[in-house]
This record gives sequence, structure tokens and C-alpha cells, in this order.
Amino acid sequence: MDDAPIATPPATRSRQIWQRPVSRRTVLATGAAGATAAALAALWKGNDLSQILDRVRDYAHGYQGALSTPRVRAAHLLRRAGFGATSAELDRYAAMTSTMMTESVLNYQQISNAALEAQLATLDLTSEKGPNAGAVQAWWLQRMVQTARPLEEKMTLFWHGLLTSGLDKAGPAQMYTQNQLFRKMALANFDDLLKALSKDPAMMVYLDTETNRRGKPNENYARELMELFTTGIGHYTEEDVRESARAFTGWTLTGGQRLRFTTDSIFNPRYFDSGQKTFMGKTGNFTGDDIVEMLVPLRATAERLSTRLFSFFAYPNPDPEIVRDLADTFQQSHYNVGKVVREIFAMDAFYSPKAYRALIKSPAELAAQTLRATGSDARAYGAAVAASAAMGQVLFYPPNVAGWPAGTAWINSSTLLTRLNFVNGAAQRMRPSPSSSTLDQLTNTLVDGNLSPTTKDGLQAFQAAHSRNQAGLLFMVLSTPEFQLN
Amino acid sequence: MFSRRDFIKQGLIPVFAGSAVPSVFANGLAAAAADSPNATPSDRILVLVQLAGGNDGLNTVIPFADGAYHDARPTLRQDQGVLPLNSELGLHPNLKGLKARFDAGQLAIVQGVGYPSPNLSHFASMSIWETASVNSGIGDGWLGRYLNYLDKVGESPNHALEGVSAGSLVPPELRSSTPVTALQSLKTFRLQPVNEHGTQVDVENPLMKFYGAFKGATPAPFGALLDATLNEALQASHALQATDATYQAKATYPASSPIASSLKLVAETIVSGLGVRVAHVTLGGFDNHAREKPVHDKLLLDLDQALSAFMEDLQGHGLGDRVLVMTWSEFGRRVKENGSAGTDHGTAAPMFLLGAPVKGGLYGEPPSLSALDNGNLKFTTDFRSVYASVLQGYLKAPASDLLGGSYEMLPLLKA
Repeated sequence: MDDAPIATPPATRSRQIWQRPVSRRTVLATGAAGATAAALAALWKGNDLSQILDRVRDYAHGYQGALSTPRVRAAHLLRRAGFGATSAELDRYAAMTSTMMTESVLNYQQISNAALEAQLATLDLTSEKGPNAGAVQAWWLQRMVQTARPLEEKMTLFWHGLLTSGLDKAGPAQMYTQNQLFRKMALANFDDLLKALSKDPAMMVYLDTETNRRGKPNENYARELMELFTTGIGHYTEEDVRESARAFTGWTLTGGQRLRFTTDSIFNPRYFDSGQKTFMGKTGNFTGDDIVEMLVPLRATAERLSTRLFSFFAYPNPDPEIVRDLADTFQQSHYNVGKVVREIFAMDAFYSPKAYRALIKSPAELAAQTLRATGSDARAYGAAVAASAAMGQVLFYPPNVAGWPAGTAWINSSTLLTRLNFVNGAAQRMRPSPSSSTLDQLTNTLVDGNLSPTTKDGLQAFQAAHSRNQAGLLFMVLSTPEFQLN
Repeated sequence: MFSRRDFIKQGLIPVFAGSAVPSVFANGLAAAAADSPNATPSDRILVLVQLAGGNDGLNTVIPFADGAYHDARPTLRQDQGVLPLNSELGLHPNLKGLKARFDAGQLAIVQGVGYPSPNLSHFASMSIWETASVNSGIGDGWLGRYLNYLDKVGESPNHALEGVSAGSLVPPELRSSTPVTALQSLKTFRLQPVNEHGTQVDVENPLMKFYGAFKGATPAPFGALLDATLNEALQASHALQATDATYQAKATYPASSPIASSLKLVAETIVSGLGVRVAHVTLGGFDNHAREKPVHDKLLLDLDQALSAFMEDLQGHGLGDRVLVMTWSEFGRRVKENGSAGTDHGTAAPMFLLGAPVKGGLYGEPPSLSALDNGNLKFTTDFRSVYASVLQGYLKAPASDLLGGSYEMLPLLKA
């Protein structure tokens, strides 16, 4: 074997690196001895000496402890709770305690977003068909880049990926309206959010509650509410699906034949099935709200949502103790999502080595963080929306009701090339000119100043050979594997 | 034995130092260019068409002579223009191309395909079909295991284009330790250079170093994945750039049809001689809980036109004998339509196998429309029987090893 990583086949791609059985970690744990052995093995394979020396240095280099510096902790939090940070933001957050950082991120209601709102193009919701899809997509991406309330946008993205609707069925104005609902209720009580969602026009079109009427039940929403939005599979029966579908009757859309364009829903008692329903062992004249009130308190819901939130913000597959603590908080706080998110950011696990760079940037995150770094103009958002699509994430258009598969699924040969070409294009179009940024400033802001020595050498060599090509240098930083991670 | 990973490791330096097409690609091209009628079993190509969302099987292969069908589907039934296959069954009126293939003996229809204890969740059922594991739905994809097998027996052309999918994501059924390439366009599948005052600076070599160094750091989350993927991407792009000028479609694909574009991309990849063994395309939109008819009619029309063009194109390139197309969907729909002029999640449904390698005709028992299980059809053929028949009978691979069990072989394919 020349080096351990090759011995780790992509078969283990679905597992996190720290769960992988042996090889690399074992080799690396032995430190210099392992590195030397690897170098000797490489020599035996005929690699040239400089490559071997690179490898020895890189093996000796480690990311452990990176999260012990205040600036890297701030960068980590702002990547997870938002879409990356500027150098000035990093300076400001690095001066805070962890608790102050968390509160600053969470209490965004106190921060004015007027500057963003003034910049955003006005979306006309009053005309017959409302805005087109591209306008709404660019509008959201611009919000991610320019918001003064990063967590508000990040939670909106979280809800969009969990409580999915999509442009394949719903209209752009409806998706915009739902997006505003997620923003408004980003950290609200989960039962309140689900009750609002059940009457949300985009959701009513996407999962067919707008056709679900007395005597004509449609199971689509009821099933996905349980399978994907609350308890998960295994906690309900097919009979529960059928019965709860009846409870969600009664809500309908205004606007007759213009179902994809209306953004209002109303309750029509004539459409409501007021008969007795038996749901999870209880019988009554249940409404949709009643079903939500029976599902949200279930432990399965608490654990599932806690797992999703932790996996979204920290790292996938949390230990049962973490899930238990978060689920307790959820249940003891009347299902308050903000409380759970606050607890995640307060956990040691959130700043643990296991969490560092443990997520792959989603295309939307990559696009928004790149535009934050390069600067952007109005045209950049539309281009970034298209690039995000080619990287596997069409905003407002998840592949199906389960949302995006995320994690390692973001990375394949096609999406990786698209990522690299996207950051290249963004760097070339950079505004304003970044000529004042030194290499250290770029790497400190974008990749925590925490790169392999080989990569640092490579960047310095590029800078030396292409001293006037600032866009090229920025591309080189954005193209590092470290920047692909969050 | 020369495994893929050895190749990736050892092949990189010559590939990127000289940026010439490595010999292994050249061999692949030569083999394809020869386009010989004596193609070995390993030259055979399987194209999967996923009908995502749960295709309404009863409105695809229609039991028009059964009164129970008409009773169950007061608004959704197809009364006009059904294309009869026999006195009982007919194809949806929009499947005219498939009907012609059926008449020519190039379409096999397996009826009532499903599995025991059907799962009505899209995602659980998709996983079951993708992994061929009805209990867990966990593990490598069934065709990922086939690609692994090709690697193991040394029949692999050893590069990342052996398994391809049209789109931006790799479907779970192709996933395994063997890399698979998601393709959106052959022409754009390349790393753009950095511009510098009108000249171009190559960045492949520095990036390879960055990714290799990151993989060697400790810890290096996703380091192996990122490094291997960059290597696969650059290899595949070099191979594509060496060949993409040669393809001319020999059929007219419908415009504004995503499934047609996907199949055309697959055809281009096959015709370009890049060593494709398994390809995957998806047609989504079948989850029609409401107002199903216009949507489903259009989907089947798009499917039919795209498949017809694809087959004609491959035949025009003399590759018709080497390609088998198979459709699948995670489940069919409920027999009785719902109150929204749609159908809820169901169970068994027909599968299509299309192409010159097929022994055309109807296979399996049509499921009863009266003896139902909670309003759903009882399956009559296990999907793993179809998989086994394709693996063993067409791809000449050890089906029981790859599927983890023995299933009845259906005589769907020519020897």
C-alpha cells in the first residue's frame, strides 16, 4: 500500500470519515512513524522526492485544535448559522464569548435588514401570474448573500429542505409566499409552523390538500406529514394515513382555475369531512390542526426534528445522548425550534473536532459564500441560481418531497467540476477589485487560514508566478477542498 | 489484476503530465469503433429509465376488457384509442412507438411486478428497488454491485464513464465503490482554465496537488471522496474531450423534452465509445394524486417519443444489438381513483424491456382487479426476478451473488 487514503474505498462514502474502520486514522495516529512509512512506501512506488516530502509534512499537519482559536470558532459558527463571514464580521465575532456569539446570531429580530430590503428587486405578486420562477430564485439567493440576519435565511433554507414544496407543481408566487412563511416562523413553535403550513397555498398544491374534500380524501399530505415532516416511518399505520387525510379536508384555495397563482387559502365548511375519525387510537371529529397537535408531542417527532437540526448545523448521525437532550428541550419548551437551535450552538459537540469541516457545502451555500467573497451585482444572482442548479440544487425545486439528499450526494465528478468552474467564473467577475487582498487575508477569511502546507506552498507559487492575477489567486483559494466543506 | 483504483492511482501521472488519451481509453474507443456484431457479453449496455413518483401501471398497460377497470376509474379510464396487445390488454394511446416495437418483437412487458409486503412510501420503496433489498433498502445499488463485479473480474474498461447518469446527481442504484459519472453535457464537462491577459493558465496540476494534500491531512473529512472525485472528473473530461466531436444524432429527438435530452446525452456517450455499461435517466412527475389524466398522458407521450428516438438513433449507429432499455417505478397506483381525479400510492405495476436483445411479448400474470389487498394489486412477479433475468441472461453476470438470493429466471432475453 502506498498510502492509506487509497485503501479507503468510496464504498464508505456514505459513512463519515471518523466512522471509517481503520487505515487512515490508524496510520495517522502513529504520527511521524506513519508518515515515514507512507513516504517510504511512496518512494518504493517511484514517486519523486518532493512529493514524498509534501506527504510527510501534510501527514504531520493537523486540523485538530483549529476550533480553539476565537476567529476560527466565529468562522465555524457563521458558516453553519449563515453563509460565511467577511473579515470584519470575523473580527467582531472573534471578540465575543461563545454565548455572546450564539445570542448575536439568534436574536436577529433586533437587527435591521433595511439595507437588504432596499436592495431587493420588487416582486410583483399582484399581476395575473405573479413573478417568474427565476426572479424569485434570484431574490432568495440575494437575500442569502446580503442579509444582516444570516440565521433567518439559513433556517428558511432548512425548512425548505424539510417541509418541501416545489415549482414542479406550485407557482412562483406561491413558493415565494411559503418562503416568507418559513422566514417569519423560522424559530417558532413547530406545531404553529405545521398548522400554518397545512394551509399554505404552495403546500396545498404540492401535496394536493387543495383537492382533498369530504367524501374524496386525498392521502398525499397526510402521509408525508407523518413520514417526512414529523414522526418518520414506522410510527403510524396505513389506516392512520387514510383517517388523517379526512381531517385535513375543508381548506381550499381562492382563485378557481388559477390554482398555481393564488396565494390565499380559506376554510370552506362544505368541503370538511366532519365525521368521526380514528387516528392513532383516538376517535373524534378531528381537524387538521388536531392531527398536528397529536403528532408534534410524540417523542418520535421530537427526536426526528432534533436529529435533522443537529445534522444540518453540526454533523450527521449524532449520538443518542445528543438527540435525547435536544428532544427533551423541544418537548419542554412547547416545541420551540429556537430553543433547540440555541442548545445546538451551545453544545461542546458543535465546536468539537468532529464538527469541524464535517459538512459539505450545499450548492446554495457555496454560491452564497462565493458571492459574499467576490462581491456581486444584480446579474450575479441569476447566474448563481443556474450554477446551483447544475451543482444539484435548484432552489424552490427539490428533487422530490424528501428534499435534497445532501451530504456526500453533493459531490460527484459533474458537480465538482461545476463547483470549480462556478468559483472560477465568480472570481473573474469579481467586484470590487480585490487587489488589496493579500494571500493571507484571503485564506484567513475564506478557509480559516487553515490549509495543508502543500496547498499553502501551491498558492504562494501561483502568486509568485502570476503576481497580477488576483482573480486567479482568489479562484485558487475558493477551489481548495477546504472551501468545499462547511 | 488491474483494478480501477490502481488505475486511478497509477494512471494519473501519465494522463495529466501529457494530457494524452491513455491507452485504456484508446482501447475503449477502438472496441467501440469496431462496432462488431461479435460483441462480447461485456460490451452490452443497460439503460435504466426511472419513472419517478409511482407510475400508474393500470393506465399504462390497460386491462380494457375488464369491467372492474372501468368501474374503478370513472374519470381516469382510457376509453378511446387504446393500442391492443391482445384481446384483454392494450397500451396507453400515447405509447405508439412502444406498440410498434412490441409488434416487431422488441418490447417485453412484465406484468404485475412488485414485492412482498409492499411499502407505500416513495422513498422506502425506491430504496427497495434500488438496492434489491426488500427488508432494509440499505446497501449498494444493485447496478453498483454489477459495476463492482466488472471491476473484480477485470472486464472493466477502468474509468469513470462505465456507469453514467444524466443529470446532476448519481442515482442510488448505481452507487458502490465504483465511480459513476453524472453528466449534464459532454461539452461542458471540463475544468475551465484561469484567464490571464488573454492567455489561459492550466490549473489541473495545482488542484490535483491541493486535493491530494488535503486527503493526506489529519483529519481530512471527505478527503478521499473529494480527491477521488476530482481524479475521476479530470479523467472523464479528458476522455470526453477526445471524442465529443464525433457524435451526430441519427434520429430527431423531440424538443423541450427533458427525458429526450437525457436519452440523447446517453446515446451520445454510448456512440462516442466511452465504455459505458450502465446508464440511468429519470422521468419524474408520476405522483399524480390529483388531476392525473392530462399529466400522465403527457408523461407517457414524452416517454414514448424519447424512447423511439433513442432506439432509432442507436440503430442508426449500428448499436441496436448492444443496448437494452428497462423501465421501473417505485410502485403503481391505487386501483380505484380518488376523489381528486387522481390516484394514491399503490403496489404492483408493469415493467418494459425494450431493444433488439429482448424476446418480445407479455410475461407474468396480469394481477386481478377484484382480489385486492387494501385496494391495491397483489404482485405476481417479483422485481428481483426481472433483475436476475437481466443480470444473468443479458449482462452474463452471476445474478444470485449480486442479488443475494436466487430468483426465477424469466425468458425475456435472447441468448
